Amino acid sequence: MPDSPAGGGLPPVSIEFGSVEWREEVERYDRRSPARAQAQSARKTIETGTAKLDWKRCKADGPDATKLPGCRKLYIPLGRQGASGAPYGFVFQLIQKPDDSLAWNMIAFGERHPANERTRNVYERAHKRLHGHYL
Amino acid sequence: MIGEFVEIAGRRYEVVPDREGGVTIEPAITPAAQLHAQRGTKPASEDDFERLSADVPYDDEG
Repeated sequence: MPDSPAGGGLPPVSIEFGSVEWREEVERYDRRSPARAQAQSARKTIETGTAKLDWKRCKADGPDATKLPGCRKLYIPLGRQGASGAPYGFVFQLIQKPDDSLAWNMIAFGERHPANERTRNVYERAHKRLHGHYL
Repeated sequence: MIGEFVEIAGRRYEVVPDREGGVTIEPAITPAAQLHAQRGTKPASEDDFERLSADVPYDDEG
């Protein structure tokens, strides 16, 4: 399901879930875990285009020193906002494909505010995917 | 040692720093640059991102 840019005149941008990223981000969770179920449900909704997506921009200089230029995010479950109502998030990077078309490519999935302080949040995971290392 | 990979039960894990000055292992995260090289993709330009995201808000998270 493509994302339709606001303002008109711009071509729709596809939303993609690469198999490597999906395995590393979502399938690291147990098959019966709520996180994995929520990610699968959100992906299905995104791909069928049955919901308006409440995108937010990621920060090039985030509050935990994460640097996510060129990225947007969706909170999961879709349609919810608060940390308790939507405890997970997808981060997407805008990419240019070999045919020069653009796509939002999922680069990270995880908890927004992990209760376990040793757990990396979704922004830290996205930073590591983009930059190859944690802060 | 940090950045090395180990395979346990058929899954790849990477040695990464923990938050207490030590190290731990976690499932590997393939760098985006490596995936771009394999797929022939690249990060879109800042202009393209701004063109598509001008009306998209920030919040107080990352």
